[in-house]
Amino acid sequence: MIAYQKILELIYSAIDELNAGNGDVSVTKEESTPLFGAASVLDSVDLVNLLLSVEELLEDELDIEFVIANEKALSQKNSPFKTIATLAQYLTEEINSL
Amino acid sequence: MFIDFFLDVFEANKKSDAIVWQERAYSYEWLTEKIGFWKQVLEENQISSGTVVMIEADYSPSSIALMLALIEQATILVPITASVAHKKDEFIETAQVETIISIDSHDDFQIKTLLVTAEHQHILALRSQRVPGLILFSSGSTGKSKAAVHDIAKLLEKFKVRRHALRAITFLLYDHIGGVNTLLYTLSNAGCVITVKDRKPDTVLSTVEKFKAELLPTSPTFINLILISEAYKRFDLSTLKTVTYGTEPMPESILVRFNQLFPHIRLLQTYGLSEIGILRSKSESSSSLWMKVGGEGFETRITDDNILEVKAHSGMLGYMNAPSPYTEDGWFHTGDRVEVKGEYIKVLGRESEIINVGGQKVYPAEVESVLLQLDYIAEAEVFSQPNALLGNIVCSKIRLTSDAEHKDKKVIKADIKRYCQQFLERFQVPAKFIFDEHEQFSLRFKKQRTL
Repeated sequence: MIAYQKILELIYSAIDELNAGNGDVSVTKEESTPLFGAASVLDSVDLVNLLLSVEELLEDELDIEFVIANEKALSQKNSPFKTIATLAQYLTEEINSL
Repeated sequence: MFIDFFLDVFEANKKSDAIVWQERAYSYEWLTEKIGFWKQVLEENQISSGTVVMIEADYSPSSIALMLALIEQATILVPITASVAHKKDEFIETAQVETIISIDSHDDFQIKTLLVTAEHQHILALRSQRVPGLILFSSGSTGKSKAAVHDIAKLLEKFKVRRHALRAITFLLYDHIGGVNTLLYTLSNAGCVITVKDRKPDTVLSTVEKFKAELLPTSPTFINLILISEAYKRFDLSTLKTVTYGTEPMPESILVRFNQLFPHIRLLQTYGLSEIGILRSKSESSSSLWMKVGGEGFETRITDDNILEVKAHSGMLGYMNAPSPYTEDGWFHTGDRVEVKGEYIKVLGRESEIINVGGQKVYPAEVESVLLQLDYIAEAEVFSQPNALLGNIVCSKIRLTSDAEHKDKKVIKADIKRYCQQFLERFQVPAKFIFDEHEQFSLRFKKQRTL
């Protein structure tokens, strides 16, 4: 069982990477930070890069292979990419049911 | 009668070197005699007009003479080299080969007759006109190789115009349109065909030095290998006047580096395809990817979506194993997307290799060019991977130089991304990296595409 808190930490590390590499954007590490949509500072290319970083951390640190941007994630009624919290929640559920 | 104009040139240059093979020179007089020898062998073996003959060989005095003798006899040639040995059976079947002549590394030969009667419509067309044919296979990085059938008499037309006699390295292979073109160009002008034992940078450049080569027709991949192996530091390349490159998009960064190192060498881009032959081309300058293409017997036009189309007098009759690729009005759709500037064009890449990232186009060669500017990257290949959010993302397979191999990949990745962002739009920057220590080029010195 992988805890929500652990996933959140991984997302925060991925945000550190994104912030370090991208001069124009700075994403706040808070659960309420919007990831996608009008309120977000990220565009789709940033989001994809962020998700790929999270995927890589999942693999490196937890030995879990999981493609985050999959059809299921995109077809959810409530998008898992709305905020950091929704992403962490979605990943916790998906990974623990693998 | 088909090679009369060659024989006239040979006769006038009897004592000149025609071929250098295994450190020895063979004169035009020798070559003429050898063509006579082969004509006799062909007659004794009932290999006559219209027979489909596979020549399994690399460049050698005997294989060069054989090619000319087979043209003279109006046979239909199917050259193949060891680089496609794994596809030999497929090629024999597709091309409906009737006879195989193999020439080994000692220049000895063997003839094998197969129980096959070729009856493909393109072969029948060549036979009915009693003209020699040439069947070339497209590299077919995806799926089956396509067999393009040519009327050699038409391909030979352009060699009747005399041009400079050059000492040329036959780097491009004996079964490649560029290789056939180098060979015929060199012989028709009484130049010297300098063969190489293998195609390692050191072997090729030592041959340039030793036999004073003036022309090296090659590929972008090999020019990169010359740079990363630093082989150019070990040999005297002062005789080399021209290096030509074609067969795949050239990363601009490689071109610029080579040009800085060798300002006295003219870099010329060539443009040709197995289906239409080699066009005449002229680069805007040695450090430019812009070129003019065309020349006698070729017309070009650009479609609305910027794909180059060519109408070639010497174009192939068609494929043996695929539908005709010609448009209704007889133009060949090259599949190469180009940018146009006045009379000049720049090839951006194959239509099929363009990566669509969220509706924006990414050309692999442009991204590869930026990656290769980093001195710790030896080779880079850019390709596409499906992604649910953007449609596709840009991925890159990187071979690091040996000094960088042990470094932390995370640090390297961050550094590559940061560097790319200075020169590329964000959607063009590779999102995913694969580090792989294997060499990325094929036996044909073309980048192997992961598709």
